[in-house]
Amino acid sequence: MELTADQRWELIEKISEKTVKFGAYRHTLKDAIGDLTVRPSTGIPVAIAVLYGFWSIFGSFAGTLFTDGFMCKIFDEHWLPWMQSVFPGGLGNWFYAIMVDAGHIQNGMLTASDNSFESFGVLTSGLFVPFGVVLPAIFIFYLMLAFLEDVGYMPRLAVLIDTLLHKIGLHGYAIVPTILGLGCNVPAVASTRILETRKQRFIMMALVATFIPCGAQIGIMQDVIPESIGFVMLYLFIGYFVMGYILNKVIPGRAPEILMDVPPYQKPMLKNIKRKVWMRTSGFLKVAVPFVLLGCLIVNILYLAGTIDWLGNVFAPVFEGWFGVPKETAGPLVAAFLRKDLAVAQLSAIHMTKYQMITSVVLVSIYFPCVATFAMILKESWKALLGSLVVLLIAAFGWGGLLHLIWKLMGVA
Amino acid sequence: MRVLLMGHPNVGKSVFFNRLTGANIIESNYPGTTVDYTKGYMRQFGEDIEVIDVPGTFSLDPKDKAEEVAVKMLRDNKDAKIICVVDASKIERGLYLLLEIIEEGFPVVVALNMWDTAMDKNIQIDAPELEQILGVPVVPTVGISGEGISAVVSKLKDITPVDADAIVERMGGI
Repeated sequence: MELTADQRWELIEKISEKTVKFGAYRHTLKDAIGDLTVRPSTGIPVAIAVLYGFWSIFGSFAGTLFTDGFMCKIFDEHWLPWMQSVFPGGLGNWFYAIMVDAGHIQNGMLTASDNSFESFGVLTSGLFVPFGVVLPAIFIFYLMLAFLEDVGYMPRLAVLIDTLLHKIGLHGYAIVPTILGLGCNVPAVASTRILETRKQRFIMMALVATFIPCGAQIGIMQDVIPESIGFVMLYLFIGYFVMGYILNKVIPGRAPEILMDVPPYQKPMLKNIKRKVWMRTSGFLKVAVPFVLLGCLIVNILYLAGTIDWLGNVFAPVFEGWFGVPKETAGPLVAAFLRKDLAVAQLSAIHMTKYQMITSVVLVSIYFPCVATFAMILKESWKALLGSLVVLLIAAFGWGGLLHLIWKLMGVA
Repeated sequence: MRVLLMGHPNVGKSVFFNRLTGANIIESNYPGTTVDYTKGYMRQFGEDIEVIDVPGTFSLDPKDKAEEVAVKMLRDNKDAKIICVVDASKIERGLYLLLEIIEEGFPVVVALNMWDTAMDKNIQIDAPELEQILGVPVVPTVGISGEGISAVVSKLKDITPVDADAIVERMGGI
């Protein structure tokens, strides 16, 4: 027999009366900490401290300690010179250029690269980018994320940011896809399923795909543009809210309230954290390494075939006129479709001003989701994919062009 | 035999799943970690039993896409047995989903999970009495330490669907 909802609740009340005794509730230390981290007056400073701590550890561990202190030395001082000396062909040979080092023109001479960002060979940059730069970044990101998740901090963060996210048609729990997206956009797109309406899921997917740079990209930015990464992140976050606000106004549909369930704090289990970090990190390697290698290969071939120069020339008015960046940016933008980290690494080898660099990095983030994210959105819904593409086209031209305008007003463009 | 792990979001279904199947799926302390179902196998009663970790749902009346997946899983597996994972510290709302599953005619074992949290909150549940009333096995469990999980599994073998009418009758009608 089928009961109605009211009948069920009535029955439950009777059952509960007979079987459950609610004793006097003891306020525990966990509850006290729980209150402090949810009440806005104390919770917001705590949230800022937590996020700041997250960011500092991320930067110092992945960027300074591991990549600069360790991996750069191995790759630039040992691996690259060794490859340059033993790989057959040498500078100027097309196969050598693809696999090891294409070199660059300096004072009219073809000169060998002296670091693993510039060389851009499959066996040099193709290994340095995923293992030397991105792996430490992803590892530390997931370690800290697993800790926050298991302790139970995420729902508190969700409660605190709820009001703000309502302005862009979402609610507190949208913080979950957002933060997951800072690791990798692919699981972030999957996690949009926790949002209730199609409108909310679309807004979330579009925002993740355009304005949330993934961990791989952040890791490499930390190394390539350490002095302007803060600005890039801030500019993207502002874009996230501006675009969200617009989408919320434009897209029909509901954005309902939710009642959030805040679970009690819990002591994190080492075993679970280890497992999660391992799964996510190895998952990253499995997806990223083949794509980075493939990306290097394709981009090098397109360079040699002249396709990239051709694209650069064709779109030169857009690059130089609208965005104010060198037309050589065409190459990284092709690479960005395969891997964003690769694209940023490639940008670092192009000669340009600090401000042009910022614009290019912002463009790489916004202009197109990487192929894995692209496939994931398609899996969720092809309509969402089409919509996202429209959104990011507008975002790339609008937000990228605005940056150019800002530089012009500052007199640095 | 096929077993579905059902329950509210964040009651520990994924912890159960990893324990039962030795698989590795992401578990976290927030609702909505599992948004798609995952299959695994455990060897029990001399057969390979398929275990499916279903996304958390509050009721069989879905309100988001993850819940739709959950309800669809139930509808597509009419011959499955259910382990209904209930947060013992929030037992009343867990019973709602449980009643719905019972009404649908599925054989169920109830895992009263987070038993330790309920104790901390000074909530005392008379599990044997609850078992009497519902007519289905009720086992207190602590997923993260593994307490009670083997008891849940051992009950799976002999469970059969129960009649919701009988529950109503035992409570003196509604």
